Amino acid sequence: MTDLPIAAAEEAVAATATHGNRRTAPFIPLPLTAARATTLAGAVITIASTFMSWTYTTDFPGDLTVSGYPGGLQIMTLIGAILTGVVALGTFGLTGLRWLTPSRTNNGVLLLALATLGTTWYTVIDIAAKLGGLANLDPGGFVAFIGALVLFAGALALPLDRHPEEPADAEYYELGRAEGISAVVRGYAWLREARLHHSELRVPDARKLNRWLQRLVIVVVYALGLKILTFGLATDYSDIFIGYLIVLAVGVWGLSAGGLLKQFQQLTQHNKKFSSTVGVLTAIAYPFAQNNELWANLGASVLIVGTVALGLNIVVGLTGLLDLGYVAFLGVGAYTAALVSGSPFSIWSGTQFPFWAAALAGMGAACVFGVLIGAPTLRLRGDYLAIVTLGFGEIFRIIVRNLDGVSGPKVTNGPNGIAQIPDLSIFGYNLGDTHSVGSFTLGRFANYYLLMLVITIIVVLVFTRAADSRIGRSWIAIREDETAATAMGINGFRVKLVAFALGASLAGLAGTVFAHVTNSVVPDPYVFSGSVPPNSAFLLAAVVLGGMGTVSGPILGAALLYVIPQKLSFLSQYELFAFGIALILIMRFRPEGIIPNRRRQLEFHEDETPAPGNRPMGDDTVPATTAGA
Amino acid sequence: MHTLPQQLANGLFLGSMYGLIAIGYTMVYGIVQLINFAHGEIFMTGAFGALAVYTNLPSSMSIWAALPLMLVGGAIVSVLIAVGAERFAYRPLRNAPRLAPLITAIGLSLALQQAVFNWYPHATAGKHFPQLPGGPFHIGSVDVQSGDLFLLGAAIVCMIALGVFVRSSRTGRAMQATAQDPDTAKLMGVDTNRIIIIAFAIGGLFAAVAGVAYGLKYGQVKYDIGFQAGLKAFTAAVLGGIGNIYGAMLGGLVLGIAEACATAYIANVPGMEQFGGGAWAQVWAFVLLIVVLLVRPQGLLGERVADRA
Amino acid sequence: MRHRSLLILTSVLATGALTLTACGSRSDDSKKGGDNSSGGSKTTVVIGVDAPLTGANSATGLGIQYGVQIAVDDANAKNLVPGVTFKVKALDDKAQPATGQTNATALVQESDVIAAVGPLNSGVAQSMQQVFESAKMVEISPSNTNPALTQGKDWATGTKTRPFTTYFRTATTDANQGNFAADYAVNTLKKKSAFVVDDKQTYGAGLAGIFQGKFKSLGGKIAGTDHVNTGDTDFSALVTKIKNSHADMVYYGGQYDESELVTKQLKAAGVHIPLMGGDGMYSDTYIKTAGQAAEGDLATSVGVPVETLPAAKTFIDTYKSKGYPGDYGTYGGYSYDAATAIIKAVKTVMDANGGKLPSDARAKLVDAVQKTDFDGIAGHVSFDQYGDTTNKQLTVYQVKGGKWTAVKTGVYNG
Repeated sequence: MTDLPIAAAEEAVAATATHGNRRTAPFIPLPLTAARATTLAGAVITIASTFMSWTYTTDFPGDLTVSGYPGGLQIMTLIGAILTGVVALGTFGLTGLRWLTPSRTNNGVLLLALATLGTTWYTVIDIAAKLGGLANLDPGGFVAFIGALVLFAGALALPLDRHPEEPADAEYYELGRAEGISAVVRGYAWLREARLHHSELRVPDARKLNRWLQRLVIVVVYALGLKILTFGLATDYSDIFIGYLIVLAVGVWGLSAGGLLKQFQQLTQHNKKFSSTVGVLTAIAYPFAQNNELWANLGASVLIVGTVALGLNIVVGLTGLLDLGYVAFLGVGAYTAALVSGSPFSIWSGTQFPFWAAALAGMGAACVFGVLIGAPTLRLRGDYLAIVTLGFGEIFRIIVRNLDGVSGPKVTNGPNGIAQIPDLSIFGYNLGDTHSVGSFTLGRFANYYLLMLVITIIVVLVFTRAADSRIGRSWIAIREDETAATAMGINGFRVKLVAFALGASLAGLAGTVFAHVTNSVVPDPYVFSGSVPPNSAFLLAAVVLGGMGTVSGPILGAALLYVIPQKLSFLSQYELFAFGIALILIMRFRPEGIIPNRRRQLEFHEDETPAPGNRPMGDDTVPATTAGA
Repeated sequence: MHTLPQQLANGLFLGSMYGLIAIGYTMVYGIVQLINFAHGEIFMTGAFGALAVYTNLPSSMSIWAALPLMLVGGAIVSVLIAVGAERFAYRPLRNAPRLAPLITAIGLSLALQQAVFNWYPHATAGKHFPQLPGGPFHIGSVDVQSGDLFLLGAAIVCMIALGVFVRSSRTGRAMQATAQDPDTAKLMGVDTNRIIIIAFAIGGLFAAVAGVAYGLKYGQVKYDIGFQAGLKAFTAAVLGGIGNIYGAMLGGLVLGIAEACATAYIANVPGMEQFGGGAWAQVWAFVLLIVVLLVRPQGLLGERVADRA
Repeated sequence: MRHRSLLILTSVLATGALTLTACGSRSDDSKKGGDNSSGGSKTTVVIGVDAPLTGANSATGLGIQYGVQIAVDDANAKNLVPGVTFKVKALDDKAQPATGQTNATALVQESDVIAAVGPLNSGVAQSMQQVFESAKMVEISPSNTNPALTQGKDWATGTKTRPFTTYFRTATTDANQGNFAADYAVNTLKKKSAFVVDDKQTYGAGLAGIFQGKFKSLGGKIAGTDHVNTGDTDFSALVTKIKNSHADMVYYGGQYDESELVTKQLKAAGVHIPLMGGDGMYSDTYIKTAGQAAEGDLATSVGVPVETLPAAKTFIDTYKSKGYPGDYGTYGGYSYDAATAIIKAVKTVMDANGGKLPSDARAKLVDAVQKTDFDGIAGHVSFDQYGDTTNKQLTVYQVKGGKWTAVKTGVYNG
């Protein structure tokens, strides 16, 4: 949760925010009371519709045929509608609910209504499309369709906080030649004015709340986050997962528009120790919250790629070095651990290091390779590092394949890899066995999840301590301007080499666990880009998507990039294509990532107002809060 | 060692292709300091564009008549993609930190590769590409395929044409100016956006020529040839001194010859028996890159320039 | 004021959480209920499939999926196991070990999955074996050829130990194919000197190594060896080496993606010697892409030629008529046989339990599969003490007139 770069910068942004020129205007001209009534009526209709049957057949995922009991995607609509209704009531001033929109803006209501509309219409259209025609819709489906529309229309008629009006003599260079056409310019100016604008609205300070209540809120929010996460993982069908994503992404955006997230951030900042403890506890609770090895496996995988991404974040995010072959360091760690694991396929098959020694060996080996690669190239211009790391990533795989005693010395067992890596045993606790803890059972992957969690916490600590230290500030200085930093007396080469070697060792550390989780190491996964993590492009994307230079960013990015494709099975063969397009779009519209490092955000949006309020649709932005789970 | 001339020729042909692709890399880098990671895929789409033209021509048409049309088809596809990428993906990020356009380029490269894989008919495996008839020609102890001759000829023609263009034409001089200092060039009345577009277009054009030459040489194109080719071309560009067009060609030739010789001769070196052959060729190419960077950090033909931050 | 708000917050959240929990379980129940009602009193038994269904290996992987699908459809149509409807659950491993392991976990987690067919790649299998072993669940691979998977790491020296009791395969190991190919090259083709190339993959390197050993022991000379990387396209340096070695044949261990280029560049350089490979090359794509250059090249494949087996012909006709994607040629038949072995074993287990599926059906299935004995579409199906197929039937094919033609069928005993 600690967004490193400096709470001070954040406060500076908050201080400069202007409150004088708040402009509100509805999109649909209606009297205020009518607009409010329409919104509430829409919410009620939509809620009611979820208790009706939406379709005749059970063929549609989640069985939407039952009356009087919502199921499947109807739940998404129900949650969206309830949330919209309640938040709307609070915004309209109902005592006891006002806290739901601390900033008193209707924008939150609109966005929540949008979430409801999105998931409801998606469901209805999906039913019609999947089952072949509108005839498959029950009256309930039509009621939901109209209810959501009424809700959204009502919200559009509320006075919404908008961008300030465009100056009459504004010039729009970005339009290029089209600037000559006045209709285009007018349309463009209208679009600019239509943008919602709520990021600078003042919210009451949550830190004034009773201390224990603050902590209660933190606990509840984390628990809820865990619940939401496990609910999402449990969805059986891509259809339901899409509905879930719509509600979650747009809903969280809506709540943040109302200022709740800002308040929550104040709380976590204020109770830093407490909230990180709760975050860790929540993460520990994850395998206990469900007794499902598949999810534990997912969790362990996410932690592994997340941790590796965090290591890469030191190199890329803090120091600004381009590493395009980072996955090779994971491979070095994995192979080292495999060699000393006692596997019969290892050349030292008799040797079985205890885990701490294996982990250190993996880190050490990766560190050595990091120095070997970094030392000749870090003295050169930055882009040379890109080609050297890219090349290293490629030849790592080739070398490992060749060290089989046929086309090279026998070290890695070549293409067959090192199989039958025994499970770890720490203090007599065999991670391969199922253990009972009270009334809970922890399977193999749950054990590894917990072990990986420990590693992740270590890496987070290393990351934060390093970043806050003298050397961390040197990294940032180098990233911002190497010439200036060198002039200030920073030994650029040495500082960069430390970052590179540290990043490599952290990847090596994760690799040691990776080898044991997958029971075998083979050369094939260590590629530049592929449909399955870990690969270098994926790791880089996780760092950039999550937010460079932050702690929770890369972990969240890795989680999203890992879980979403797993759930959207219909993407299957188009997954990599979608990944590529997503990278382009993210860079185009939100290059600072989901959890922006304050400093970077300002850098990317120099010519705009700070912290843009309107995120583009389709960019599933989930702000910081869900990352803890 | 009587195979040496043949192996050098093998390396020369392979290297010409690396060089042709590397020119696109190096030009774009020289002007906007962007590693256009998607350039390998632009090369690949050029080959597929040419193949698409060929498949739609009447089968009675001779390959010699079809070849110009294929070149045009490939060039149109490659140039459109290269220019489109510049206009819609890279330009909005021109002032962003350098990582942003690089990630865009990686995304673009994946998207292009997957687009061909998924939507070009039956492109999930290798596609047959027509080859030039005739050959092999024997020149001394060296066998040369007609596809190799085309490749070598194309590389020479392209290099000379580009050299003349950059040195003598108005646009070429504007390119040099933009490469040296875009801001000053702008003040001198150079439309830098146009120059950047032209650099991308020329890169795309050369990639398309390389793509057609690739198809003619190997008789097969595949959706994933772009990554390897792009990696090699990138290496070649850095070897030769990134930003220098002659350096790119030289780097390509050096790399190609190094790979051919590594495949053929490393195993003959005492003590290195196990490290020879095709499997290690790429590793040796990488070692060569590291050595060159250590000894001559600016690349073979690169000039030592001050870091333009 | 504040306090009351918080109270409301907590109660709203609690209600929300409860709703979610309640609904989450409901949708599961209704799904299972739906299955039961539609199938009458029939039990649904699911056979899992794990193979690369997307990406570069997808053609072969889809061949596995639909090979199993046809076996299941046949079993359901013929009511092979009364009271049971079989279903297929296919998961995509993208040829990645970690994904394969996740899929194995997913299959184990689902209670109605009884056994699994797959994976395609030996490297993926290594990560899945342990998961299935812990769950006592049968896994039959139609394509893994790495001998160590069944015979332990010292298989080459003759000390064979079986590491996993639940792992079986219907594909034969590299050992049989490589030896058979060397035998054919020396004794039938009368080749004296071979140049051996492989792609440094489990399958290719294993095959090439065994061919090389056998070729030498039969009196042939190894003119040279080399290794390439998958994805390489320029083999001119290799071709020059082969030409200079004056070998009279090339053996290539690997897939058709590279071998079609090798043969093309070889023949273009005027080296008209045949290229021989394993079943990874036995594909129409090889001939299509290599064109004229493929003429005279050879490939070994397991089983007898499909034309001679009516059952296999039916299989191919079904595959084509249903319009399934993917390539049935390489491993479709073994997948069909693997699924059939599971189906027959389910019948055995149920017959022993009075026509009902026992609660520990998965564990019982292991023994039943071990005792498999029937004639499949790719030959006789039964497993030895290591879980390997006892089917040693092999066929050598040669490209003649742009088509793979069987030139020798036999059994390798050695």
